[in-house]
Amino acid sequence: MELSESVQRGLQLAAEPSSVDHRGFQALVDSCFRSLLSSQGDPAVLDEPELKHVDRIQLKQVHSAATTFILEAVKQDADKSAVSSSLEELSFSTERIEIFYSSYQKHKKELERLLASIGRSPARINDVSWRLQYNTKNGQLDKVNEPSYLISLNTENQGTSEDISFTCTTEQLQDLVGKLKDAAKSVEKASQM
Amino acid sequence: MSEQQNNHKQVFCFSSVVEEFGHIALESLRRGSSPKIYESAAKKLFVPMEMVQHGVEGLVFLLMESSKHMISEVNFLDCVLVLGFSEEVNRFLLKLYQEHQGQIRTIMKQLICSQPTYQNLEWRLDVQLASRLLRQQIVPTVVTRLFLTSGTDSSSRVLQTDPRTLLHIIYTLEAALAAVKTSHTRRILRNIK
Repeated sequence: MELSESVQRGLQLAAEPSSVDHRGFQALVDSCFRSLLSSQGDPAVLDEPELKHVDRIQLKQVHSAATTFILEAVKQDADKSAVSSSLEELSFSTERIEIFYSSYQKHKKELERLLASIGRSPARINDVSWRLQYNTKNGQLDKVNEPSYLISLNTENQGTSEDISFTCTTEQLQDLVGKLKDAAKSVEKASQM
Repeated sequence: MSEQQNNHKQVFCFSSVVEEFGHIALESLRRGSSPKIYESAAKKLFVPMEMVQHGVEGLVFLLMESSKHMISEVNFLDCVLVLGFSEEVNRFLLKLYQEHQGQIRTIMKQLICSQPTYQNLEWRLDVQLASRLLRQQIVPTVVTRLFLTSGTDSSSRVLQTDPRTLLHIIYTLEAALAAVKTSHTRRILRNIK
Protein backbone atom coordinates (compact mmCIF):
# COMPACT_ATOMS: atom_id res chain seq x y z
CA MET A 1 0.00 0.00 0.00
CA GLU A 2 1.25 3.44 -0.82
CA LEU A 3 1.40 5.70 2.18
CA SER A 4 2.33 9.36 2.39
CA GLU A 5 5.32 10.44 4.40
CA SER A 6 3.31 11.95 7.22
CA VAL A 7 1.30 8.76 7.56
CA GLN A 8 4.47 6.70 7.64
CA ARG A 9 6.01 8.96 10.26
CA GLY A 10 2.90 8.89 12.42
CA LEU A 11 2.71 5.09 12.25
CA GLN A 12 6.38 4.71 13.11
CA LEU A 13 5.68 6.61 16.31
CA ALA A 14 2.97 4.09 17.14
CA ALA A 15 5.41 1.25 16.55
CA GLU A 16 7.90 2.49 19.13
CA PRO A 17 7.41 1.20 22.67
CA SER A 18 9.11 4.35 23.98
CA SER A 19 6.35 6.54 22.53
CA VAL A 20 3.37 4.26 23.00
CA ASP A 21 3.67 1.45 25.52
CA HIS A 22 2.00 -1.94 25.22
CA ARG A 23 -1.23 -1.16 27.06
CA GLY A 24 -1.42 2.18 25.36
CA PHE A 25 -1.16 0.56 21.95
CA GLN A 26 -4.31 -1.54 22.41
CA ALA A 27 -6.19 1.53 23.66
CA LEU A 28 -4.87 3.52 20.73
CA VAL A 29 -6.05 0.96 18.17
CA ASP A 30 -9.47 0.81 19.80
CA SER A 31 -9.78 4.60 19.83
CA CYS A 32 -8.89 4.85 16.16
CA PHE A 33 -11.52 2.36 15.08
CA ARG A 34 -14.05 3.93 17.41
CA SER A 35 -13.54 7.40 16.00
CA LEU A 36 -14.02 6.09 12.46
CA LEU A 37 -17.18 4.18 13.25
CA SER A 38 -19.01 6.61 15.50
CA SER A 39 -21.53 8.79 13.73
CA GLN A 40 -20.39 11.96 15.47
CA GLY A 41 -16.92 13.24 16.16
CA ASP A 42 -16.00 12.73 19.80
CA PRO A 43 -13.39 15.19 21.04
CA ALA A 44 -12.65 12.95 24.02
CA VAL A 45 -11.80 9.88 21.96
CA LEU A 46 -8.12 10.13 22.80
CA ASP A 47 -8.65 10.82 26.52
CA GLU A 48 -8.20 7.19 27.53
CA PRO A 49 -6.23 6.77 30.81
CA GLU A 50 -3.84 4.30 29.06
CA LEU A 51 -2.83 7.08 26.69
CA LYS A 52 -2.07 9.70 29.33
CA HIS A 53 1.65 9.04 29.10
CA VAL A 54 1.84 9.79 25.38
CA ASP A 55 2.87 13.25 24.29
CA ARG A 56 -0.28 15.09 23.13
CA ILE A 57 1.09 16.27 19.81
CA GLN A 58 2.53 12.88 18.97
CA LEU A 59 -0.75 11.27 19.93
CA LYS A 60 -2.63 13.38 17.41
CA GLN A 61 -0.08 12.57 14.71
CA VAL A 62 -0.39 8.88 15.43
CA HIS A 63 -4.19 9.03 15.50
CA SER A 64 -4.49 10.77 12.14
CA ALA A 65 -1.87 8.50 10.55
CA ALA A 66 -3.49 5.35 11.89
CA THR A 67 -7.01 6.31 10.82
CA THR A 68 -5.73 7.16 7.32
CA PHE A 69 -3.98 3.81 7.18
CA ILE A 70 -7.13 1.96 8.26
CA LEU A 71 -9.28 3.69 5.64
CA GLU A 72 -6.73 3.03 2.91
CA ALA A 73 -6.57 -0.63 3.85
CA VAL A 74 -10.37 -0.98 3.81
CA LYS A 75 -10.59 0.92 0.52
CA GLN A 76 -8.17 -1.49 -1.15
CA ASP A 77 -9.66 -4.55 0.54
CA ALA A 78 -6.19 -5.32 1.94
CA ASP A 79 -5.69 -8.86 3.21
CA LYS A 80 -3.53 -10.03 6.12
CA SER A 81 -0.28 -10.19 4.13
CA ALA A 82 -0.73 -6.68 2.70
CA VAL A 83 -1.47 -5.18 6.12
CA SER A 84 1.34 -7.13 7.80
CA SER A 85 3.99 -6.29 5.23
CA SER A 86 3.11 -2.57 5.34
CA LEU A 87 3.34 -2.52 9.12
CA GLU A 88 6.54 -4.60 9.12
CA GLU A 89 8.20 -2.06 6.87
CA LEU A 90 7.37 0.57 9.49
CA SER A 91 9.08 -1.44 12.23
CA PHE A 92 5.98 -2.78 13.94
CA SER A 93 6.58 -5.79 16.18
CA THR A 94 4.72 -9.02 15.33
CA GLU A 95 2.71 -8.64 18.50
CA ARG A 96 1.51 -5.15 17.60
CA ILE A 97 0.71 -6.28 14.06
CA GLU A 98 -1.48 -9.04 15.52
CA ILE A 99 -3.30 -6.60 17.81
CA PHE A 100 -3.92 -4.23 14.93
CA TYR A 101 -4.98 -6.91 12.49
CA SER A 102 -7.52 -8.50 14.84
CA SER A 103 -9.29 -5.14 15.31
CA TYR A 104 -9.10 -4.56 11.55
CA GLN A 105 -10.77 -7.90 10.86
CA LYS A 106 -13.46 -7.21 13.43
CA HIS A 107 -14.47 -3.83 12.03
CA LYS A 108 -13.68 -4.21 8.31
CA LYS A 109 -17.19 -5.08 7.12
CA GLU A 110 -18.74 -2.18 8.93
CA LEU A 111 -16.15 0.25 7.58
CA GLU A 112 -16.78 -1.05 4.07
CA ARG A 113 -20.46 -0.37 4.46
CA LEU A 114 -19.73 3.11 5.72
CA LEU A 115 -17.44 3.93 2.79
CA ALA A 116 -19.87 2.49 0.26
CA SER A 117 -22.64 4.71 1.55
CA ILE A 118 -20.69 7.92 1.03
CA GLY A 119 -20.85 9.39 -2.43
CA ARG A 120 -23.29 10.82 -4.92
CA SER A 121 -25.94 8.70 -6.49
CA PRO A 122 -29.41 9.22 -7.90
CA ALA A 123 -32.34 9.10 -5.52
CA ARG A 124 -33.23 5.58 -4.43
CA ILE A 125 -36.77 4.27 -4.73
CA ASN A 126 -37.71 2.66 -1.44
CA ASP A 127 -41.40 1.99 -1.77
CA VAL A 128 -44.45 2.60 -3.89
CA SER A 129 -48.07 3.26 -2.95
CA TRP A 130 -51.07 3.37 -5.24
CA ARG A 131 -54.68 4.37 -5.38
CA LEU A 132 -57.31 3.41 -7.93
CA GLN A 133 -59.95 6.03 -8.63
CA TYR A 134 -62.85 6.45 -10.99
CA ASN A 135 -63.25 9.82 -12.69
CA THR A 136 -66.81 10.67 -13.65
CA LYS A 137 -66.54 14.31 -14.58
CA ASN A 138 -64.34 17.33 -14.11
CA GLY A 139 -64.49 21.07 -14.66
CA GLN A 140 -63.76 20.79 -18.37
CA LEU A 141 -65.42 17.55 -19.41
CA ASP A 142 -68.57 15.63 -18.62
CA LYS A 143 -68.92 11.87 -18.87
CA VAL A 144 -65.26 11.05 -18.39
CA ASN A 145 -66.09 7.67 -16.80
CA GLU A 146 -62.57 6.32 -16.64
CA PRO A 147 -60.63 4.53 -13.95
CA SER A 148 -57.23 6.02 -13.25
CA TYR A 149 -54.35 5.25 -10.92
CA LEU A 150 -52.46 7.58 -8.64
CA ILE A 151 -48.98 6.18 -8.02
CA SER A 152 -46.59 7.57 -5.43
CA LEU A 153 -42.92 6.60 -5.35
CA ASN A 154 -41.20 7.12 -2.06
CA THR A 155 -37.59 8.06 -2.81
CA GLU A 156 -34.63 8.93 -0.66
CA ASN A 157 -31.43 10.78 -1.42
CA GLN A 158 -28.78 11.02 1.26
CA GLY A 159 -31.20 11.27 4.11
CA THR A 160 -33.89 13.46 2.58
CA SER A 161 -36.95 11.67 1.34
CA GLU A 162 -39.24 12.83 -1.42
CA ASP A 163 -42.47 11.50 -2.87
CA ILE A 164 -42.88 11.48 -6.62
CA SER A 165 -46.56 11.23 -7.54
CA PHE A 166 -48.14 10.79 -10.91
CA THR A 167 -51.36 9.55 -12.48
CA CYS A 168 -51.71 6.95 -15.18
CA THR A 169 -54.31 4.92 -17.00
CA THR A 170 -54.55 1.16 -16.75
CA GLU A 171 -52.68 0.78 -20.05
CA GLN A 172 -49.90 3.07 -18.90
CA LEU A 173 -49.55 1.16 -15.64
CA GLN A 174 -49.34 -2.08 -17.62
CA ASP A 175 -46.58 -0.50 -19.70
CA LEU A 176 -44.71 0.56 -16.57
CA VAL A 177 -45.00 -2.85 -14.93
CA GLY A 178 -43.93 -4.54 -18.17
CA LYS A 179 -40.78 -2.45 -18.34
CA LEU A 180 -39.97 -3.10 -14.67
CA LYS A 181 -40.38 -6.82 -15.28
CA ASP A 182 -37.96 -6.61 -18.21
CA ALA A 183 -35.43 -4.98 -15.91
CA ALA A 184 -35.94 -7.69 -13.28
CA LYS A 185 -35.48 -10.39 -15.92
CA SER A 186 -32.21 -8.90 -17.03
CA VAL A 187 -31.00 -8.77 -13.41
CA GLU A 188 -31.82 -12.46 -13.08
CA LYS A 189 -30.00 -13.30 -16.29
CA ALA A 190 -26.96 -11.30 -15.22
CA SER A 191 -26.84 -13.05 -11.86
CA GLN A 192 -26.70 -16.42 -13.59
CA MET A 193 -23.71 -15.63 -15.76
CA MET B 1 -75.25 29.92 -26.32
CA SER B 2 -74.96 33.57 -25.49
CA GLU B 3 -75.90 36.51 -27.72
CA GLN B 4 -72.23 37.26 -28.23
CA GLN B 5 -71.57 33.86 -29.71
CA ASN B 6 -74.64 34.22 -31.92
CA ASN B 7 -73.35 37.49 -33.27
CA HIS B 8 -70.04 35.88 -34.10
CA LYS B 9 -71.85 33.43 -36.30
CA GLN B 10 -73.13 36.15 -38.63
CA VAL B 11 -70.05 35.77 -40.71
CA PHE B 12 -70.88 32.21 -41.75
CA CYS B 13 -72.73 33.03 -44.93
CA PHE B 14 -70.79 30.99 -47.42
CA SER B 15 -69.86 27.32 -47.15
CA SER B 16 -66.30 27.87 -48.33
CA VAL B 17 -65.87 30.38 -45.55
CA VAL B 18 -67.11 27.85 -43.01
CA GLU B 19 -64.59 25.27 -44.17
CA GLU B 20 -61.73 27.69 -43.78
CA PHE B 21 -62.98 28.71 -40.35
CA GLY B 22 -63.32 25.07 -39.39
CA HIS B 23 -59.66 24.45 -40.14
CA ILE B 24 -58.53 27.51 -38.25
CA ALA B 25 -60.71 26.60 -35.26
CA LEU B 26 -59.25 23.08 -35.05
CA GLU B 27 -55.70 24.36 -35.40
CA SER B 28 -56.27 26.89 -32.69
CA LEU B 29 -57.58 24.15 -30.39
CA ARG B 30 -54.51 22.06 -31.12
CA ARG B 31 -51.81 24.67 -31.14
CA GLY B 32 -53.29 27.93 -29.99
CA SER B 33 -54.27 30.86 -32.15
CA SER B 34 -52.13 33.60 -33.57
CA PRO B 35 -53.03 36.98 -35.12
CA LYS B 36 -51.11 36.08 -38.27
CA ILE B 37 -53.51 33.27 -39.09
CA TYR B 38 -56.48 35.56 -38.61
CA GLU B 39 -54.86 38.21 -40.77
CA SER B 40 -54.12 35.93 -43.70
CA ALA B 41 -57.65 34.45 -43.57
CA ALA B 42 -59.13 37.97 -43.41
CA LYS B 43 -57.16 38.99 -46.51
CA LYS B 44 -58.27 35.89 -48.43
CA LEU B 45 -61.95 36.44 -47.61
CA PHE B 46 -61.97 40.23 -47.88
CA VAL B 47 -63.36 40.72 -44.39
CA PRO B 48 -61.97 42.58 -41.41
CA MET B 49 -59.71 40.60 -39.07
CA GLU B 50 -61.98 41.04 -36.05
CA MET B 51 -64.75 39.23 -37.90
CA VAL B 52 -62.48 36.28 -38.57
CA GLN B 53 -61.37 36.22 -34.96
CA HIS B 54 -64.91 36.32 -33.61
CA GLY B 55 -66.07 33.71 -36.04
CA VAL B 56 -63.28 31.33 -35.11
CA GLU B 57 -63.79 31.92 -31.39
CA GLY B 58 -67.49 31.23 -31.73
CA LEU B 59 -66.80 28.01 -33.59
CA VAL B 60 -64.23 26.92 -31.03
CA PHE B 61 -66.74 27.55 -28.25
CA LEU B 62 -69.39 25.53 -30.08
CA LEU B 63 -67.03 22.58 -30.56
CA MET B 64 -65.75 22.67 -26.99
CA GLU B 65 -69.15 22.83 -25.33
CA SER B 66 -70.56 20.09 -27.56
CA SER B 67 -67.58 17.85 -26.89
CA LYS B 68 -67.70 18.54 -23.17
CA HIS B 69 -71.28 17.31 -22.87
CA MET B 70 -70.90 14.72 -25.63
CA ILE B 71 -74.20 15.83 -27.09
CA SER B 72 -75.85 13.62 -29.66
CA GLU B 73 -76.30 14.38 -33.36
CA VAL B 74 -79.91 15.43 -32.85
CA ASN B 75 -79.08 17.84 -30.04
CA PHE B 76 -76.16 19.31 -31.95
CA LEU B 77 -78.31 20.01 -35.00
CA ASP B 78 -80.96 21.56 -32.76
CA CYS B 79 -78.36 23.96 -31.34
CA VAL B 80 -77.03 24.89 -34.73
CA LEU B 81 -80.48 25.30 -36.28
CA VAL B 82 -81.11 28.27 -33.97
CA LEU B 83 -78.34 30.15 -35.74
CA GLY B 84 -80.16 30.10 -39.05
CA PHE B 85 -77.47 28.79 -41.35
CA SER B 86 -78.06 26.90 -44.55
CA GLU B 87 -78.52 23.13 -44.53
CA GLU B 88 -75.08 22.70 -46.06
CA VAL B 89 -73.36 24.70 -43.32
CA ASN B 90 -75.22 22.74 -40.65
CA ARG B 91 -74.16 19.44 -42.12
CA PHE B 92 -70.57 20.61 -42.35
CA LEU B 93 -70.56 21.73 -38.72
CA LEU B 94 -72.02 18.40 -37.61
CA LYS B 95 -69.38 16.50 -39.58
CA LEU B 96 -66.65 18.67 -38.06
CA TYR B 97 -67.99 17.95 -34.57
CA GLN B 98 -68.37 14.22 -35.05
CA GLU B 99 -65.02 13.67 -36.69
CA HIS B 100 -63.05 15.60 -34.11
CA GLN B 101 -64.95 15.06 -30.88
CA GLY B 102 -62.47 12.49 -29.58
CA GLN B 103 -59.51 14.69 -30.39
CA ILE B 104 -61.10 17.73 -28.80
CA ARG B 105 -61.86 15.82 -25.59
CA THR B 106 -58.26 14.61 -25.44
CA ILE B 107 -57.01 18.18 -25.77
CA MET B 108 -59.43 19.38 -23.11
CA LYS B 109 -58.28 16.66 -20.74
CA GLN B 110 -54.88 18.26 -20.69
CA LEU B 111 -56.37 21.51 -19.43
CA ILE B 112 -57.26 20.13 -16.03
CA CYS B 113 -54.01 18.29 -15.45
CA SER B 114 -53.10 19.11 -11.89
CA GLN B 115 -50.80 16.13 -11.48
CA PRO B 116 -48.05 14.82 -13.68
CA THR B 117 -48.92 11.85 -15.86
CA TYR B 118 -46.75 8.87 -16.64
CA GLN B 119 -45.20 8.91 -20.09
CA ASN B 120 -42.42 6.35 -20.19
CA LEU B 121 -39.78 4.53 -18.21
CA GLU B 122 -36.28 3.71 -19.44
CA TRP B 123 -34.06 1.40 -17.46
CA ARG B 124 -30.52 0.12 -17.30
CA LEU B 125 -28.72 -2.47 -15.20
CA ASP B 126 -25.52 -1.14 -13.65
CA VAL B 127 -23.01 -2.89 -11.46
CA GLN B 128 -21.02 -0.53 -9.29
CA LEU B 129 -17.43 -1.73 -9.23
CA ALA B 130 -15.62 1.03 -7.38
CA SER B 131 -16.00 4.50 -6.00
CA ARG B 132 -13.65 7.14 -4.76
CA LEU B 133 -13.86 5.74 -1.26
CA LEU B 134 -14.08 2.02 -1.86
CA ARG B 135 -12.62 -0.29 -4.47
CA GLN B 136 -13.56 -3.88 -5.22
CA GLN B 137 -17.31 -3.50 -5.04
CA ILE B 138 -19.97 -5.53 -6.76
CA VAL B 139 -23.27 -3.75 -6.27
CA PRO B 140 -26.01 -4.41 -8.83
CA THR B 141 -28.26 -1.42 -9.33
CA VAL B 142 -31.19 -0.79 -11.62
CA VAL B 143 -31.09 2.79 -12.87
CA THR B 144 -34.28 4.16 -14.36
CA ARG B 145 -35.41 7.36 -16.01
CA LEU B 146 -39.03 8.22 -15.39
CA PHE B 147 -40.69 10.52 -17.93
CA LEU B 148 -43.69 12.52 -16.76
CA THR B 149 -45.78 15.18 -18.48
CA SER B 150 -47.79 17.89 -16.79
CA GLY B 151 -50.02 19.58 -19.31
CA THR B 152 -47.49 20.71 -21.90
CA ASP B 153 -44.37 20.48 -19.72
CA SER B 154 -42.46 17.25 -19.61
CA SER B 155 -39.87 16.27 -17.10
CA SER B 156 -37.70 13.29 -16.40
CA ARG B 157 -36.11 12.00 -13.20
CA VAL B 158 -33.26 9.57 -12.78
CA LEU B 159 -33.97 7.08 -10.01
CA GLN B 160 -32.22 3.94 -8.89
CA THR B 161 -33.21 0.88 -6.98
CA ASP B 162 -31.76 -2.46 -5.98
CA PRO B 163 -33.01 -5.82 -7.30
CA ARG B 164 -34.95 -6.67 -4.16
CA THR B 165 -36.83 -3.40 -4.00
CA LEU B 166 -37.52 -3.74 -7.73
CA LEU B 167 -39.24 -7.07 -7.15
CA HIS B 168 -41.25 -5.57 -4.27
CA ILE B 169 -42.38 -2.69 -6.52
CA ILE B 170 -43.40 -5.07 -9.30
CA TYR B 171 -45.37 -7.17 -6.85
CA THR B 172 -47.15 -4.11 -5.41
CA LEU B 173 -48.05 -2.66 -8.81
CA GLU B 174 -49.35 -6.00 -10.06
CA ALA B 175 -51.72 -5.99 -7.10
CA ALA B 176 -52.78 -2.50 -8.23
CA LEU B 177 -53.52 -3.78 -11.73
CA ALA B 178 -55.54 -6.64 -10.29
CA ALA B 179 -57.71 -4.16 -8.38
CA VAL B 180 -59.35 -2.84 -11.54
CA LYS B 181 -60.55 -6.34 -12.43
CA THR B 182 -62.30 -7.14 -9.15
CA SER B 183 -66.08 -7.55 -9.11
CA HIS B 184 -66.36 -4.51 -6.82
CA THR B 185 -64.63 -2.28 -9.34
CA ARG B 186 -66.54 -3.75 -12.25
CA ARG B 187 -69.83 -3.09 -10.50
CA ILE B 188 -68.97 0.57 -9.92
CA LEU B 189 -67.71 1.06 -13.48
CA ARG B 190 -70.90 -0.49 -14.83
CA ASN B 191 -73.34 1.42 -12.72
CA ILE B 192 -71.98 4.91 -12.41
CA LYS B 193 -72.20 6.52 -15.79
